Parts: sequence; C-alpha cells; structure tokens
Amino acid sequence: MLKNYITVAFRNLMKHKGFSFINVLGLSIGLTCCMLISLYIYHEYSYDSYHAKGERLYQLGAVFNNEGELEHRATVPSALAVALQQEFPEIEESARLLSLFRDDKTLLQYQESGENVKSFYESKGYVADPSLFKLLAYNFIEGDPATALQNPNTVVVTEEIAEKLFGEESALNKTIRISSNTNGDGDYTITGVFRPHNVPSHIDARFLLSPRGGGLENFFLNSTTLLNNNMFFTYFLLKEGSDAQQLEKKLPAFVERHMGEELKNRGSDRQLFLTNIEDIHLASEIEGNVTPAGSLTYIRILASIAVLTLLIACINFMNLSTSRSSKRSREVGVRKVLGAERSFLIWQFLGESLIMALVAFIFAIVLAVVFLPVFEQLSGRDIILSFQQHGFLLGVYFLLAIITGFIAGSYPAFYLSSFKPVQVLKGRFSSSLSVVSLRKGLVIFQFVISVVLIIASVIISNQMSYLRSKDLGFIKDQQIVIPLRSETAKSSYASLKAQLNSHTSIRSVGGSLNYPGISNPTDWLMYKEGSSAQNAESVVITHVDDSFLQTLGLKAVAGRLFSPDFPADTNNHIILNEKGVAEFGFPSAEEAVGSWVAFDWEGEQYRFDIVGVVNDFHFKDLRVPIQPFGFLLVNAPIYNYLIAHVNQGNMGQTLQVIEERWNALNPNEPFEYSFLDQDFQKNYEAESRLAGMIRYFTIIAILISCLGLFGLATFSAEQRIKEIGIRKVLGASVSSLVALLSKDFLKLVVVSVVLASPIAWYIMHEWLQTFAYRVDISWQVFALTTFLAVMIALVTVSFQAIKAALTNPVKNLRTE
Amino acid sequence: MIQLQNIFKWYNTANRPTFILKDVSLTIDEGAFLSIMGPSGSGKTTLLNIMGMLDQPSEGSYHFMGQDVFNLKEKQRKELYKQYIGFVFQAYHLLDELTVYENIETPLLYQGVKSAERKAMVGDMLDRFRIVGKKDLFPSQLSGGQQQLVGVVRALISKPKLILADEPTGNLNSTQGEEIMQLFQQLNKEEGVTIVQVTHSEKNAAFGNRIIQLLDGQVQD
Repeated sequence: MLKNYITVAFRNLMKHKGFSFINVLGLSIGLTCCMLISLYIYHEYSYDSYHAKGERLYQLGAVFNNEGELEHRATVPSALAVALQQEFPEIEESARLLSLFRDDKTLLQYQESGENVKSFYESKGYVADPSLFKLLAYNFIEGDPATALQNPNTVVVTEEIAEKLFGEESALNKTIRISSNTNGDGDYTITGVFRPHNVPSHIDARFLLSPRGGGLENFFLNSTTLLNNNMFFTYFLLKEGSDAQQLEKKLPAFVERHMGEELKNRGSDRQLFLTNIEDIHLASEIEGNVTPAGSLTYIRILASIAVLTLLIACINFMNLSTSRSSKRSREVGVRKVLGAERSFLIWQFLGESLIMALVAFIFAIVLAVVFLPVFEQLSGRDIILSFQQHGFLLGVYFLLAIITGFIAGSYPAFYLSSFKPVQVLKGRFSSSLSVVSLRKGLVIFQFVISVVLIIASVIISNQMSYLRSKDLGFIKDQQIVIPLRSETAKSSYASLKAQLNSHTSIRSVGGSLNYPGISNPTDWLMYKEGSSAQNAESVVITHVDDSFLQTLGLKAVAGRLFSPDFPADTNNHIILNEKGVAEFGFPSAEEAVGSWVAFDWEGEQYRFDIVGVVNDFHFKDLRVPIQPFGFLLVNAPIYNYLIAHVNQGNMGQTLQVIEERWNALNPNEPFEYSFLDQDFQKNYEAESRLAGMIRYFTIIAILISCLGLFGLATFSAEQRIKEIGIRKVLGASVSSLVALLSKDFLKLVVVSVVLASPIAWYIMHEWLQTFAYRVDISWQVFALTTFLAVMIALVTVSFQAIKAALTNPVKNLRTE
Repeated sequence: MIQLQNIFKWYNTANRPTFILKDVSLTIDEGAFLSIMGPSGSGKTTLLNIMGMLDQPSEGSYHFMGQDVFNLKEKQRKELYKQYIGFVFQAYHLLDELTVYENIETPLLYQGVKSAERKAMVGDMLDRFRIVGKKDLFPSQLSGGQQQLVGVVRALISKPKLILADEPTGNLNSTQGEEIMQLFQQLNKEEGVTIVQVTHSEKNAAFGNRIIQLLDGQVQD
C-alpha cells in the first residue's frame, strides 16, 4: 500500500512538472527562511548557556530614577559588590568587570628581540577581578585561571591576540605594553591565554587586565561610594540552595540602610535587581550592558517573518492543489468505485504533500548552507554550531518539514477526498463557491503579508536615508578621525597638528576627548547663576582644543568660539549649545554669554563663565533628542582624537600625507583612521540590519506569492480555455481577453493593499517612535506600494493570460 | 440477488421535483445477464448507480443478497460493495498514472489483500486474458478495446458476484465491442457472474438473457 502511494505520488509529481516545481520551490524557500531565522533565534537564546555554575550566576543591576523616568542599567558602583557580599551570606563570591570605556581601541605593543616593535590596536579590553575566572567558565589554554589576574600588571588575552603577538611561541610570562585612554600606559605580563567558547557570551572580552597596577586601580579597588561611579558590571555566584528571588527581596532594605539618607537628600531613589547570566543577552530593558542586548522585538519580527513565509508557501500549495481538483476529481471517483475508503485517499494526498515537503526539505538544507554566509552578514552574527547541535537542528527541521507537509496537504486532502464518484465520473465538476472564495481569501492573505512587507521596507529605507542625510548641525563629511592612544601619540599632537595645518589639502585640524557619534561618558549636573544644585541640569561635557569647534564647522550663535586668540579660555570658560541655554532658562543666547553655570562637588562650587553659545548639533544619534552640551577648552596633550577637515579631491593622497607625518612622529604605532560620517552611521547598525533583512524577506515573500499567483493564473487560463476560444471566435481582441483573465486577480491584489495599509501604517508608526527624529509616513508610500503590488501581480498574471489569449481557438474548442 | 422496491429518485428544480426514477421495482436473480435499454435521460445510469450503491434513491428499498442495503451502516455497505460488486465504465476510467498491472491490482489494495496473494491473483488474470505482455504499459499506450479489457479485468479481480457495466462498448468500434460482449457472456455462463449492463445497442442487449426498457424513469413492460 505504502509503495503504491509513493509510486503514485512520484508519478503525479513528474507528470505535472510545472505544478510540482512551483510547490517545491515555494516550500523550499519558505523552509530555508525558517531554518536561517531559527538558527539566528537559537543563537540568540544560547548566550552564556555554557557556564558550569550558570544557574547560580547573577549580574547585579540598578534602577535609576532619572527625573521620573526609570532606567534599568547593568552598571553599579564598585564598592557595592564588596558591601553586598559582606552582608549577605547567600553570596559565595563576586567579581567585577570594568570596560575600558574611553577606548574604542587600545594599543598593544611587544618589543621583539632587537629594535623591532610589533604593535597593533585591539578592541574589547576590560579590567576584571581575578575571581571572574572562578565564576565564569573560561577555556584557558595557557596559564592558571585561579591566579591569572592576582598580581599587579597582569593580563589575560585571547588565543588570537597571543598568536598575533607571538605566533607559535608560548605567550605566558611575556611582557607587552598596553596604552589605553582609560587605564593609562603600562607594561603587563601575560598570565593567561584563553580560547573563546563556540557558544556566544554577553562578555566579548578580547583581553582582561588586572585591577592592580593600572591607572584605574584606585577607582576600581578603593572607591567607597555606593551611589556614584556607576561603571562596574558586577557578578555574583550564589551559594548552592540559595534563592535569587529571596535575595532580591532583601535588597531594598539594604539600599535603605546604606544609601537611604543620601538618596533622600538628592530627592532620588535607587533599586537593585539580579539577572541570571543566561538571561542577560535578551534582557533588553537593561541599558548599557557589556555588549548590546539582543532585541526580543527583533527576534519576534524575524520569527513572524519566518512563520509568514512558510505560511505563504503552504497557502500556495493549498491553492494550487485545490485549483487542480477538477483534474484529480476523476481519479478520486475511480478509486472510490474500486473500493477506496475516504481515509485511504486522505492519506494518499497527504503522502503526496509530504513527499513534496521532503523534497523541499532537501533543497532547503542546500539553500540554507549556501545562504548562511549571506545571512550571517545580514544579521551581524556568526553562527557557529557544534556537531551535536547540527544533529539536533537537523532533526527539528525534518520535523518542521513534515509538519509543513501536513499543514499544506491537509486541506487539499480533505477537500479532494470528499468528491462523490457519481458526480465526478459524469464529468460534471465545478469548484463549489466556498472553495473558490476560500482560495481567493488565501490569495488576499498572502498578498496582505507581502504588501505589509513592501510598505515596511519602503518606510524603513526612507528613514534610513533620512538618518544619513539629515543635517546634523556640524560638518560630518570630509572629516578624518585619527585616534591618539599612547602618551607618545598624545604628546605628538601639537607637532602633528602644525605639520598638517601647513598642508594645502587640509583645511583645519582639531583635537578633543570625544567627537560626535561615539559615546561620551562625561556629564555634569550644573545650574545657572542665581540658581542652586536642586535645579541642576545634566550637561554632556567634552574637552577640546582651540580649533576643534571650527574644524567641525560649529557656528557661534552668540559670543564666540574658542580660538588661539583667547588662550585664557582654559580658565574655566564654557561654550554651551542652544539647547543648554534654553534648558537652564536663560532668556536668550546673548544674555547667557557673560553669565555662568556651575556644579557642586564635595561642598565646593565650581564655576564656569559662558563665553559663547553654538548652534544645536547631534552629538548622539537621531534616536535621541539633542541634550544640553558644554565644551571646555584644554591646552594639554590629553586629546584622544585628532580630527582633520580635508578638502574635497584626492583623499588617497591626503591620507598618505597624514600617514607619512604620523609615521615620522610615532614610528612604533600603526596609523589608523576612520571617517566621521561613517562612525556616526555605525550607530544605526541595528537598523541597517533590520532594513537589510526586511528587504530580503520582502523580496522572498513577494517571490513566493508570485509563484502561487502564477500557478493559479495558469490553471485559471486552462480552465477557461473553452470560454476564451468561444469569445475569440465571437471576435474578442487579445487585449480584452488579457484584461478578462487578469481582472479577477488584480481585484484581489487591490483588496490586499486596502487591508494591508492600515496594518503596515500601525506597525511602522510604532517603529518610528524609537527615533526622536523621523520621517512622516506619507500617502506616497501607499501609492507607490499599490503601484508596485499591482504591477508585480499584473506581470505575473498577464504572462499566462496573453499566452491563453493568443492560442488558436480551433485547438481550444476541439473536444476529444 | 437484487430486489428493488418502489424506487423513486427526484431532484428539486425551482421547487418542483424533477423525477429521474418513478416507482421502479425490479428483481434480478443470481446468474442473470440483464440489459437495461432506453433513450438518453431515461434514468438508466442512475438505476445502475443505485444498484451499485454509489447513489441513493429518494424513496424506496433495496435488498442485495438478502440485506437491506439502505439500512446498513456506511461501513457495512462498503464491505458488501467491495466483496460483491465490480464496475465497468463507458470511458474505461483507468488511472492514468498507473500501469496495467497496477490498475488491476488497485481494488485488491483497498481490500487489504496481502502482497504475495495479490501478485498471484493479478498474474492469473493477466494470463487468463492474455495481456501479460502489456502489464507494464500505461493506459495511454493502449487502444480503446484494450483499455476496456483492462477495465473489465480490473472489475473481475476481486471475484465479484455482480458486474455493473455502464455502456461498456460505447467508446469502442463494433469488433472491439463484440469481443467485450462475448467476454461478458462467457463470464455469465461459465462462472455464473451476474451482469447488469446499460446499453443503447439492440445487438449488445441481445447477448443477455433479459432486457428491460426504461422510459422517463419508469420500467416499460
């Protein structure tokens, strides 16, 4: 019996090649999408799942009350770890981790035998308690995790860094020089080399420094504040049998005991909470974690796309199968006359769809393997799986294919097997009204999905191009950013600037601690003249040199900019932005100039005279509104970045000139640069990825929908071939016939657009809310989408319609 | 074998019943070879379908081999049908996707006959009707007469006591038609298979031993 099913199924597949091709292709694409996306989701959920003590590992977080707005953050003061551990016996061990927050890159150098110095930049550096390696599972290939960071000036690096520095040689006990903007310059002994796990972790450290010996030692080990310096990631290992929730309940009392009074004075409050290590990656409500949290929204969007593409493919299958029912009805009749029970026939049809799903499954596996690299690039994740995981996933996908086959085949199976032999064998067969309207409903559903995706991708790409092109309030183009890491580089700033300034292709050079688009950790709570600390405003602060503002092209709205003519500006003078002036409540920019703003620190007032006001500019990405900003002049070699505004023209040559000058001044440091506009765009990486993914999946969804529409059009043309013949004999023109055949489908597409537009509007409206600066959703988007959808459908359908209309009617009207 | 009593069959068109069969009563004994004749639309095929349990009358009763067919459960009726009845069609109705061998084998599959037994039964039939050479051909590769022969063999494979044939020679030329008729006669005489055929042809009707005329849904005596 089974053999019979399979032979019949295969012969049917081979006999109707077009039909089978459309179905198998659609199902393969749908399954491929599902596989790739589920890989991604699997990856997202696998973060930190490898720690042996994972169940007992928790990260401490704090809720800050920011003017009524609650902010969950992953960073707390360093003393909190010690204080909590002393007070609560449930905590077996704690470890703190501090990011080299001022370093987007850190300089690593190794003096080889002789004069030769190997040096390169590394990112993802941290300072960590030695106990970190006791808590978290690190795979040491050299050194001892128990003692690795105990001695001062020690460092643990990844296998990759060790290889870069020493090649095949052992890295253990070698000394390297590390120059950091955050931790200062120093010599460090390598006490451990680790190989990162295949399973991802929210801690992406490439090298970890001992707290002792670096510039941050005091800050890290001796700080006593329980409220300020919220910069430390803190991990606890709870004792076996103790309950994190119980412990969490005791934390408010702890906060009250130790910080209650000070918090009351500040008119603020603070809560502490614990997050299990395996949950950290997807705890997206927590801001500023070690690595950006994965987005649950993102996962949900992708999961729905996966389900929807597969659903579209299943719908194709159902539609094509039922539209073919007139052809299969005779077979059903004959089989029933030969004694087939209905259940036999149901299984026969289900068998056919299962076989198709399995063929699609094989294709999908191949497609998934082929497209995995593309997908990895799109999603920004490297998906590495172990052998066991492969086996497990393969099993899951096989099951998925079977389920898909069942879902896709169920409706046709029940529908086709219900035919009554007396009717179908007489050749009097017509699809019932309910089947036809169900088929139409399914087509509409398919196109609603596609249209929503089209609208979403149009709006997303509008917003993305808005983000790229919006005037940021400063000159972002033709700006070369050169990081200054080491003391040598910093002290060479003045000469480098002088040399570059003399070059014709360079318009202006400035130095600063920060530049727009990268994170700026410094903000001060300041109040204006005549006010007090109670009414303080948070002002983001950066230190610059006397030509930085000019280099960025910021304009003085009132007063003046810093310049070489006013060297005394280093003496606590400040330049605010317009937003700052407004927030402080100055009546106008002119009146702010000459007044002062100040902050209090340990009972003392620090006052800054306002010498100028600059136009508002976006120092952060466009998700957030412009905040008060203050520039301070500093005239010492502490700048982290040199920014050169260069003329348009030969960028390569200019870069070469800069490199030559750099190499002359800093022979042991590689020349690195980036472009300010590109750095700024990096803030939108997640959005770019989303945009890229949605664009791809939109195309895929449209493709599958069109496959189905094409199939339906083919069958509709076949079924109406007699009608077309008669009309042609009666004198109908080809174009009128094409219109006749296409009209029904176009109606469906138009209905889909009408249904999809409000859904898409709502979803995209919600998405745009995440940006403080955003495009409007204009009617043009919907007009464009309607046009696109209709055109796509028309092209798909009219191909068959034209073919049918051009056929010689004599052929169509001949009966057997 | 077959006792039809007061069979009515009607459809409602525009609230008025259109009668297909009007008060048909008919008894057919085992071993009969009955031909039903009558003009198009007189209800011949409907009567045949009712006898074959593919259709149900609007009114009336039907006893087959002593069992009250329309008071049986669906499953029992199917069993009865599978065991005793074979159908032959004017348009052959072979399954295009299956070979001759597989077409003949299909009813056995639905009866749950074991593989080895199936093989033997189909082999016997192929031998007996001298179509072994054609067993791997598909219906489209056969002539009309050959196709109908396969159709008859397929109907015979489950050793039915009754064969219902709806214009079995309608699509065949006269030589082919005659061969099929001779085959029916032989089956009837030698194996005692009861045959009921619907036909337009007086000549074919004469192969049987009883003829009834149907006109406007009524049996003419």
